[in-house]
Amino acid sequence: MEQSITIELNGERRALTVRTDATLLEVLRDGCGLSSVRETCGIGICGACAVLVDGVPISSCLLLAPLADGCRITTVEGLSRGDELHPVQRAFIEQMAFQCSYCTPGMVLSAVALLAEHPDPSPEEIAEYLAGNLCRCGSYPRILAAVSDAARLMRQASR
Amino acid sequence: MIDAVERVTGRIRFSQDASLPGMLHAAAVRSVVPHGRIARIDTAAALEVPGVVAVVTGEDLRRLPGLRPVYGPQIEDQPVVALDCVRYVGDIVALVAAETLQAAQEAAALVAVECEELPAVFDPLEALEPSAPLLHELEPERPHEGTALYFGIRPQFGTNCCNLFRIRRGDVARGFAEADLVIEETFRTPAIQHVAMEPHAALALWEDGRLTVWSGTQTPFNTRQILAEIFGLPVERVRVIVPPMGGSYGCKVFPRIEPQAALLAYVTGRPVKFVLRRDEEFVTLTRHATVVTIRLGLTRDGRITAKEVRAYWNTGAYADCGPDVARKGGFGIVGPYRIPHVAVDSRCVYTNLPPAGAFRGYAVTQAAWASESMMDIAADALGLDPLEFRLRNLLRDGETFATGETLHDVHFAECLERAAAAIGWEGPWRHELGDGRVRAKGLAVVLKGMTTPSRSEAKVGIDRSGRVTVYSSTVELGQGARTVLAQLAAEALGVPYQEIRVVDPDTARTPFDNRTTSSRSTYMMGNAVRQAALALRERLLRIAAERLEVEQADLELMDGSVRVAGAPASALKFGELVEASRQEALVEHGEFRNQGGLDPDTGQGIASSHWHQGAGAVEVEVDTRTGKVTILHAHASVYAGQVVNRHTAELQNLGNIVFGLGSALFEELVYEQGQLVNPNLSDYLIPSFLDLPERMTHDLVERPGAEIHGLGETALPTIPAAVGNAVARAIGARVTELPLTPERVLRAIRARGGERG
Repeated sequence: MEQSITIELNGERRALTVRTDATLLEVLRDGCGLSSVRETCGIGICGACAVLVDGVPISSCLLLAPLADGCRITTVEGLSRGDELHPVQRAFIEQMAFQCSYCTPGMVLSAVALLAEHPDPSPEEIAEYLAGNLCRCGSYPRILAAVSDAARLMRQASR
Repeated sequence: MIDAVERVTGRIRFSQDASLPGMLHAAAVRSVVPHGRIARIDTAAALEVPGVVAVVTGEDLRRLPGLRPVYGPQIEDQPVVALDCVRYVGDIVALVAAETLQAAQEAAALVAVECEELPAVFDPLEALEPSAPLLHELEPERPHEGTALYFGIRPQFGTNCCNLFRIRRGDVARGFAEADLVIEETFRTPAIQHVAMEPHAALALWEDGRLTVWSGTQTPFNTRQILAEIFGLPVERVRVIVPPMGGSYGCKVFPRIEPQAALLAYVTGRPVKFVLRRDEEFVTLTRHATVVTIRLGLTRDGRITAKEVRAYWNTGAYADCGPDVARKGGFGIVGPYRIPHVAVDSRCVYTNLPPAGAFRGYAVTQAAWASESMMDIAADALGLDPLEFRLRNLLRDGETFATGETLHDVHFAECLERAAAAIGWEGPWRHELGDGRVRAKGLAVVLKGMTTPSRSEAKVGIDRSGRVTVYSSTVELGQGARTVLAQLAAEALGVPYQEIRVVDPDTARTPFDNRTTSSRSTYMMGNAVRQAALALRERLLRIAAERLEVEQADLELMDGSVRVAGAPASALKFGELVEASRQEALVEHGEFRNQGGLDPDTGQGIASSHWHQGAGAVEVEVDTRTGKVTILHAHASVYAGQVVNRHTAELQNLGNIVFGLGSALFEELVYEQGQLVNPNLSDYLIPSFLDLPERMTHDLVERPGAEIHGLGETALPTIPAAVGNAVARAIGARVTELPLTPERVLRAIRARGGERG
């Protein structure tokens, strides 16, 4: 069975025909060619497939695509404007907050959502918020530092 | 990293992202019994599923002419698809190729397999009993035809032991006779899994009798060789291309799914992509579970007179590189100590469990768990400070290891002292908080070999645009290989490393390298790249000297050009020099080898051309009411020699600490009659942000002018052992089995209470 849905994907309106049992992950990755959306655990534990659905980080492996109908979806491809990276991305580079970087898009998106909610999070709040994003390389200390840096950059920019 | 922007924008392409027009998707049918003879496989229903193109069984495989259906890096024991027998729950019984992944998976579920169950064995000691079922019948006249035989292995024919590695040094009987005290203990570690975030992914294409495979593998050349043997091809007709990996930690060492993808592509004549599901990852490769018994002879003044080791490495159903793991673990368990009399029997044993192979730390985590726990038990028995006891026995520069080789550039004591100082070792090693919580400190120090002998080659070239390109078969798995190799070339050529292009491994384009393992690449490949770059520098200087009519010695390389020292106006751009040479590009070749090897019956020889050295120190808090262990501070001090890139070096150390904490505290594959019960990230936990210690620190021990020492693994094995020692100190009882779960800690506390009561 298939169903038509309309989503706003990285600022662009997209009309898609999806299998009713397709996950949003499959649709974004295979259907829309967004290879930053990655599957690791397949059960909503690891955050590698996290995308923002109406600004909220969601495990796209658990969300059936038809349920995303009418939603605004942001992947890491939608964060940067041309060559201009999002402050969170810049901070990740500055701190070198990754090794293999497979988890990085999900981490960055979760961090963006966190900073939208809490512009000045403590390290404990960052760790708590990002606990659903796993990094097997163990770059966690650098990621914490990067998110703190990004928060500072974004607060300064909004002043 | 030179690829940082690609990484934060998600644009980097892993092997999982490879695709070709018209490609099919693969799925595997897996055994649900741990040991059985295949009676019948019914593929009819599977073939009816719309979109299914082929279902391949062992019988089909056998009927294909010219194919060698069984492979393995050290012992050829693993069929591409099960032939007569299945040997573990998860063994591949049939393969499906279909137009979509959904169709392939649906069809795989419809393949009906009938098996006559055979007795199964899961414990390595039981597997060595005369009555145990045999998994393989290794033949004495063809013990191994594998291709990676850089060392002799000793299968024990007619048993499940696929390698017995021995060390014989001195006379342990004499050593024990000279001891004031002899202690013995047995230690265990469970199987654990790598859990690389990116699963195994391979794409295979046949064109005009040539095979091309895109795969995230740490071993492009071994994989090429093995694929060539399976399909009866000269190696030149097999090409392995390696995109960057989303983590590996050893699980992508040696062929895993490439033979299966290639077989399906061979049968269907279409490109085939095979990506493992997470539950399949868990039964594809694991870290060896171990049982290690150590007997130690000690003098009252704190010297070690003798060490006797019996080690069992549970390699599961297929040997993979288990024979080598048993060897490296065999000398790893001796530890970095001066011991006159040593006897080690290290056995790699088949059981009906998923295969075990390479895993970050490569045998040393299990080795250190046993030997460094034993060092603390010994110190306690002698009433000595565990730091002081170790320092008395640690090998120093110019001393001889149990393999008979003399060690140079030795920094074990320095690493250990630094680690101890970092957690304030001189302070109280244990104190009670008064509410059932106890804090305590623990230490561990390790030595780890680097693959010896081995070889790395590299090419460095400059084209007419002046662009420098490094050709290397070192794979990028997050360690920053592209960046570090670019830096080493840049240093020699006086160009910014960000402008250097590093070609990803492609056996048709990049020169030979043993493999990206054993923390060898920055050193081995780094030296090959450096050599090639220096040769290129020489050539540029020669050409420029001729053009400028000056002596070579008067020239310098600067910003992509050669000029008379201090005279910018004289600069000739690299591109101009290439043009002047009338070549399209100038390319130079570099090669770096290390030499050695061990006698498998005595363990004497050269185990490693240089040594990875590290120490770990932790402070823990144990809640004695619940058994919960909290890490307050974890520190690792690692000998680096020379650091090439401080960022990537630090990330390796920090990552190793985190990895080690998972292994120390909770990672464990749990089997029920050979069936894995926790093949998912809900039941098998890996460290998250919330598992970080309150403090996590590290340091790199550097020496100007020293050799580069790889850092990819060294800190890891120190952590579980140091945590174990700290917990033992906290609770006054020894947990001899990893991981240190609250249940195990609580049981140890209660057992101790029983003894006292």
